[in-house]
Amino acid sequence: MTERGLAVNGVAIDDSFAEAFPMKATRLVITAHTLAWARHAAVAATGFATSVIACGCEAGIERELDGHDTPDGRPGIAVLIFAMSGKELAKQVERRVGQCVLTCPTTAVYAGLQEGEAIPLGKNLRFFGDGWQIAKMLGGQRHWRIPVMDGEFVAQEMTRVVKGVGGGNLLLLATDTEAALAGAEAAVEAMRHVPGTIMPFPGGVVRSGSKVGSKYSALPASTNDAYCPSLATLVPHSALTPEIGCVLEIVIDGLSEADVAASMRAGLQAITERGAAAGVLRVGAGNYGGKLGPFHFHLHKLLGVAA
Amino acid sequence: MNWHLRLRQQPALRVDLRGLLPTALAALDAAGVAQQRVWHGNETLALGDLFDIKPAPAGDAPQLHFEGNLSRVDGLGWGLEAGLIVVEGSVGDHLGTQMRGGEIHVLGDAGDLAGCEMAGGRLGIAGSVGDFAASPLPGSMDGMRGGVLVVQGRAGARFADRMRRGTAVVHGDVGDFCASRLVAGTVALGGRCGVHPAYGMRRGSLVFAGVAPEAAPLTFVPTRHDLRVFWALLALELNGHGGVFAGLAQRQPQRFVGDLAAGGQGEWLMLGR
Repeated sequence: MTERGLAVNGVAIDDSFAEAFPMKATRLVITAHTLAWARHAAVAATGFATSVIACGCEAGIERELDGHDTPDGRPGIAVLIFAMSGKELAKQVERRVGQCVLTCPTTAVYAGLQEGEAIPLGKNLRFFGDGWQIAKMLGGQRHWRIPVMDGEFVAQEMTRVVKGVGGGNLLLLATDTEAALAGAEAAVEAMRHVPGTIMPFPGGVVRSGSKVGSKYSALPASTNDAYCPSLATLVPHSALTPEIGCVLEIVIDGLSEADVAASMRAGLQAITERGAAAGVLRVGAGNYGGKLGPFHFHLHKLLGVAA
Repeated sequence: MNWHLRLRQQPALRVDLRGLLPTALAALDAAGVAQQRVWHGNETLALGDLFDIKPAPAGDAPQLHFEGNLSRVDGLGWGLEAGLIVVEGSVGDHLGTQMRGGEIHVLGDAGDLAGCEMAGGRLGIAGSVGDFAASPLPGSMDGMRGGVLVVQGRAGARFADRMRRGTAVVHGDVGDFCASRLVAGTVALGGRCGVHPAYGMRRGSLVFAGVAPEAAPLTFVPTRHDLRVFWALLALELNGHGGVFAGLAQRQPQRFVGDLAAGGQGEWLMLGR
């Protein structure tokens, strides 16, 4: 899985692939009086949402929106939320919007997708209005106006759910911490411009890549020892060569397979443009042998090299 | 097949055209259309006895084009679900009653009870309408239940009585008791309003985009809060109707809630005050 046969600007690209899984996804548009307040709400609503393993969902900010791109003409933030089932996604949307958007001054929230299965957005949050809530059909969609202390909170009744793709990833193998961070930051910056995708981990980067299973039966996942530099000389199946001192991973969730591929391609290009001299010597991808996830993103194919 | 029907002469009695819908006639030939029976007073006539019938150009949806003064023709578009009806002239009562989809465009006036209990589609009247437009049928609890009704001219009394959902727009003046007993939905007025607007209103929105009443009744109270988000959405919705409704987003309304005499939480949105 980690054979190296391709190098771009000296950066070795493993003949490997990222293995991703189907997820349920939705996009929410959060607007506010200023972009700063929309961001406050979006950051809170997408907090503690790095991995479905323990967070219930994976969420992140997709992009900023100006008034021309939002229903009410105010600045806003588009966020994407992913979960393993529609039921879990509905639960997470309601909790997060109820606790983080409804509570944030001046915000309003709207569905960011027009097609797909409908799940409640403001439908149940309206009961916070204690009977003073008002429904209004606007543009064929029901909206709720809930009285709050700064005026009223406007929320579209339903949002739409589509089949998304979660778990696209890149592994950056670098000489040291500084080089790995710089490479990851450059890649994430490039990947943020790809619509329909998020990188749910802090700063878009995860250091605790995991493998399936553990020596402890209670744990479903444990540290990816094959990529831990501290274990390179201890575990027989280490994927690291002696010059590798730090490994970071970028995980990508997207609304479609094409979105994830575009994001990974943008990340790969950003890393290879910096060249091996910048310290990222090799790029790999995490998979489970292709037996678990139906979406396979081959690194060489992403760079236009025939398999 | 689409059809063009030209009224030969004003009928002696009122004619009831309910059931004469574009989709039903699309499958017929000219002879079949001409043989359709319609009520004329208390007797039935063949449609061909009243109208000159000829094929019309094909369109995206089944269409019926009427030509002439149909002011004695009632029930046109009753229960319409799909297709387009265009009337080059005026029509009688019950235009688009209980329509659930499709479109009706009348280039003249319409009589009473236009858009009664309509639940979907779009009903546009270039002229004026009589009383009880967008209202319930006699004995029914709910008036208009969805869709869009646009009157370019004036509307009579009891416009949108007991309306429950949808958008009803009048560019001109409306008569007395406009939006009385309104249950929900949006009523937008571009002209003057008669007495007792929104009498017994429960919920819904009544927008005075043109000439607002001198004062709200005592059973309506002003509210003081930032309404801009909702107003931006509603103004955008109304903006497409043009005229006085264009550019509403640049104006801020004053809001009153009532009718408190009926325990209502409906709202007046008054501009230009």
